[in-house]
Amino acid sequence: MYRDRVVSVIEIRVDENACNGCGLCVKDCPMQVYELRDAISVPVRAASCMGCLSCHEICPAQALEHRGVYPSRRHYIDIRVCEMLNRVI
Amino acid sequence: MTDDTIREMKDSFASSTVYRSEDVPLQCVPPPDELEDTLHGLMKLNGLIIRSLEEIAGRGANAVTYRAGRKYGHEVAKYFRKIEDVEEALKELSNILHGQYTIEIWKPADKDRYIIEENGSTFIYLVFHDCIVRQTLRRNGQPQGGPLCLTLFGYVVGAIEEITGRKAKLEIVHTGPNACLKKLILQ
Ligand code: SF4
Ligand code: SF4
Repeated sequence: MYRDRVVSVIEIRVDENACNGCGLCVKDCPMQVYELRDAISVPVRAASCMGCLSCHEICPAQALEHRGVYPSRRHYIDIRVCEMLNRVI
Repeated sequence: MTDDTIREMKDSFASSTVYRSEDVPLQCVPPPDELEDTLHGLMKLNGLIIRSLEEIAGRGANAVTYRAGRKYGHEVAKYFRKIEDVEEALKELSNILHGQYTIEIWKPADKDRYIIEENGSTFIYLVFHDCIVRQTLRRNGQPQGGPLCLTLFGYVVGAIEEITGRKAKLEIVHTGPNACLKKLILQ
């Protein structure tokens, strides 16, 4: 289930069932977008999000969803992701 | 190496193309969508140069690449039209660099203006979206924010200084997989 938040240009949702309350997104976000409430991350300042997607990279539960973020061009295969996938597979 | 190997190699380079002195190639060969291997090769080469530079020059590598980028920015921007307004100058630079780098002038939700004055300094936040430097570093598994990023920093600072006639400085606020936030400090 997704917990909706105040709507801005960029919309952020946190899957409450997936979030384990580790707080990594809270620590990592440079714009203090998230706060932990009842051990769940809540995007309280989504209007300040600049779309870096560091929180996606760091979230171990893949609980985050952003809408309205400009997708930067990718010219590469992310070798860290590939290594991780290879380990899992 | 056997004769067969050598012959095979030579055959792979054999061509019946006729070049005349007046022939000027009008398009990339092969077409851009077939250039992926070349692009990866370039990214690996850049990554390797930067990694070696860091090993040789240590922390000094940042200063060297920053200065090189800044000099390049000044040289290139000499031919751009002069604009006093920094926001306009950034917009112009973003248009010129489009395809390699896209830069957005940005402000946090609690600020009213893009030019922010705080603790005695004046600055503008810049979000770097498309960036070949980020692609190169991540493709090679190298950390962001090092000497290759500083080349680009230097370039932006040099170009802005040249276009506006004002001194500037750039600071990394955050580096991410999809965008990076920087502060252009105006002096
Ligand atoms: S994308 Fe970046 S700025 Fe936006 S919430 Fe995630 S870490 Fe924060
Ligand atoms: S990083 Fe992911 S799992 Fe951890 S608090 Fe944030 S959303 Fe929840």
